[in-house]
Amino acid sequence: MITEKLDRSKKPIPGAPRDVKFPGYFEATLPNGINVIVIKDEKFPIVSARFVFKAGSFFDGEKYGISSFTSEMLTKGTQSRSALEIAELVDYHGAFLSSGCDFDATFVSCYSLKKYFEKIFDITSEVILRPAFAEDEINRLREQKINSIISYKDEGDYLASRIYKKNIYHKLPYSKPLEGTESILNSLQKNDLENFYNTNYKPDNLIIAFVGDIDEARAVQLVEEKFGSFTGEFVNNTVAEDEHLNPEKKVYIVKKSGAVQSSLKVGHLAFKRNIPDYIPASVMNTLLGGSFTSRINKNLREVNGFTYGARSFFDWKKYSGDFAVETEVGNSFTAPAVKEMLFEINKMKNEFVSDEELTSVKNYLTGNFPLQLETPNAIASKVISLKIYDIEKDYYNTYISKVNAVTKQDINDVAMKYLHPEKVTIAVGGNPDEIQKDMMQFGDVEVFDDVE
Amino acid sequence: MPKNLNIKPNIIRYKSEDFPRVAQKALAIEEMTMANGMRAVFYKTDNIPSVCINVTYHVGSKDDEERSGMAHLFEHLMFEGSPNIPHGEFDAILHDLGGDSNAYTSWDVTSYYITIPSNSLEVALWLDSDRLAGFAVTSEMLEIQKDVITEERKFVFDNTPYGSVEEESNLRLFKNSGYRNSILGNMSILRKFNINDIKDHFEKYYAPNNAVIALAGSFDMEEAKALVEKYYGGIPVGKPFTRREFSEYDIVEEIKDTVYDNIQLPAKFIFYRVPAEGTKDYYALQILSSILSKGESSLLNKKLVYDLTLANEVDTSVTGMEQTSIFGINAISLKGRNLDIIGTAIDEILDEIQNGNIKEELIEKVKNNIETRTALRKSSIVTLAEKLSFDKLIFDDANRINTEIYCFLSITKKDIIEAANKYLKKNQRVVLDYLPK
Repeated sequence: MITEKLDRSKKPIPGAPRDVKFPGYFEATLPNGINVIVIKDEKFPIVSARFVFKAGSFFDGEKYGISSFTSEMLTKGTQSRSALEIAELVDYHGAFLSSGCDFDATFVSCYSLKKYFEKIFDITSEVILRPAFAEDEINRLREQKINSIISYKDEGDYLASRIYKKNIYHKLPYSKPLEGTESILNSLQKNDLENFYNTNYKPDNLIIAFVGDIDEARAVQLVEEKFGSFTGEFVNNTVAEDEHLNPEKKVYIVKKSGAVQSSLKVGHLAFKRNIPDYIPASVMNTLLGGSFTSRINKNLREVNGFTYGARSFFDWKKYSGDFAVETEVGNSFTAPAVKEMLFEINKMKNEFVSDEELTSVKNYLTGNFPLQLETPNAIASKVISLKIYDIEKDYYNTYISKVNAVTKQDINDVAMKYLHPEKVTIAVGGNPDEIQKDMMQFGDVEVFDDVE
Repeated sequence: MPKNLNIKPNIIRYKSEDFPRVAQKALAIEEMTMANGMRAVFYKTDNIPSVCINVTYHVGSKDDEERSGMAHLFEHLMFEGSPNIPHGEFDAILHDLGGDSNAYTSWDVTSYYITIPSNSLEVALWLDSDRLAGFAVTSEMLEIQKDVITEERKFVFDNTPYGSVEEESNLRLFKNSGYRNSILGNMSILRKFNINDIKDHFEKYYAPNNAVIALAGSFDMEEAKALVEKYYGGIPVGKPFTRREFSEYDIVEEIKDTVYDNIQLPAKFIFYRVPAEGTKDYYALQILSSILSKGESSLLNKKLVYDLTLANEVDTSVTGMEQTSIFGINAISLKGRNLDIIGTAIDEILDEIQNGNIKEELIEKVKNNIETRTALRKSSIVTLAEKLSFDKLIFDDANRINTEIYCFLSITKKDIIEAANKYLKKNQRVVLDYLPK
């Protein structure tokens, strides 16, 4: 019952925040080097297993696309079961099985109700240890992957991202399309896939993470049973080539027919994931363009109405990384939007952030942190990423205190160190006829009909 | 005259005793109704020290009438400011507390959520309730959001491959009801709205008796109920209004059209009007949809993607709505394949089903999958809060989070065959071929 009228002008005062701890988990290493992780959670009768080989498209060499092709072929038949038999078995149990890769790792994931899990684990082990790489399945997947590339090229952000990566990563493998190209995909043969598989899928670069309603001892036992005789050693022969910032601003436009918006990606080379100032850099980016209330989104969306949304981020990878601002704006707003992005990046370098902004961003990041630990699967992803990127084990335990320790000076230091507005690559997927002239104010403009 | 169909859809309900095979624990839901008619649902889980607040209003794009795009525009404006929250401060205050927020508009509802650390629950309720308690939109806020939506429309509709398909199909499926409305709206109409138009919408639909609030997460139950009462209980009841009754013309002949888009791979889209969400036929068709396209061994995937290599991807869906639903099939072709051959292959599979040729094991397989999906869905407070408020608002039954699974599990082979024969008729459908410009 309302006894007195509520005074809505008074903002209530929050209570004391509750402590957040990163949950503990079980970990063991088998004699052959397989790293087993178990995050037990009995709330729901579901178990998942994630298999992660710490090798991905970075090791493609000249045959780029091969890591992605090899990883997707795993579920397309084993020495004893056809692709269709695998799919039927998994689907029948209401389970899930998929495989793929990114630049730094290859993933095979499965999950099912607890009552079916051991069957699903069994079939997943088989696809990892005894893939068939059958010719007819290679040809079928080849055509699908080529068609996927064709359809990606209908999307402005794909075009912008491709020309951007090509021009900032230069000789690093991160400059190449992970999915490959039509001509490379057409040239790949069964023995190429087998070679990639034999070189990169090794027990000593394999993590198996179990999540859900399973005992630690049973999980280890399952791995021993299926993977105990898996042997070999992973040798990393790839040297990260010299990386360098581009000397000046330059504009690249890839033509997207009929575009009414420009997909923009503006940025430059930054640094790899495992650096000491990762946290201050993340805090700085959250303020700059990493949330809805960030300066870049506020400027481009809420003040200027140029876009439905704009964001910036550090794309940190294992051996390198980049910083970029991304957005989609109406054709006539393309150059004005780039100007505003550069204005905000420069401001971040030239002025200290205010106390209010700094407090607010810290509260935002630490307050949102529990939501990132909501499900055991989300926790497993975090543990796995620590391992892929060789990050210290207590990273998440110390996350909140490290965020809270960031100072205005730290923010300015990382802005000075990692932001280079005078050297940005301005990549656009869009309509050159309507934007090219306007974009010349930023530097040389090159227009392409297509991009690899 | 259009015919009245399913004005009050016949919603099916089940009890857990009928289905001993499902070993999922029921979530303990608490509810209350305040004096002003606003309903509240609570689910406490102490997994993480956060709460999600979802407030869903019973107004969507189907209620737009001549004000095209109004429900969605209003959703944007709800973040811009309210009597005690200055322009631009809503999200800033939330972020400052470690919270976040978002919203969506469908044809039936406009739904808002906030996530917040538990210690700031009261501040979040204060923030959210202020925008229901009073109107403070200015023309400055309105004009900027018109610009933002102009870009949103370009982004999701004009500049995205096949992005126009939802609007193109709904215009053909629905001739009379508000389900033909574009959610983003017609920009030339939306551009002309003034503050009074916005205020009308607010006064008519943004009333406590037209909304449900749900809290899911870590909180003290009695304290949370008292806080909801404190911030929402005193908001005055809205004026009564009558919603336009749902009526539609029957589709008696296949509607077939070609749309030219900035794409390289031709695609075929097929749509049927089917019964409302919550009806028995809706669940039968949901299961059929999974039989057709869920997993690599599903019927359409196996035939079109795997055996005949005609399509690069195939999918089906049942878009559930309050007074009707849409059954959709889409197939994006592989380069060089013929859309007519793809259409014939799809029809062959549908004919088989209509003739009664479905293996029981295919139904069993979908039911296994639904058990897995249902369990996974309960692990996110954002998803939970959204489902609790939606189900309470539309079905007056928040406990569907626990019981809806039985609606699926009760479906038999006979139900599926009957629904397929009744609703997936060739002469009742819309077929759109998307071709490169």
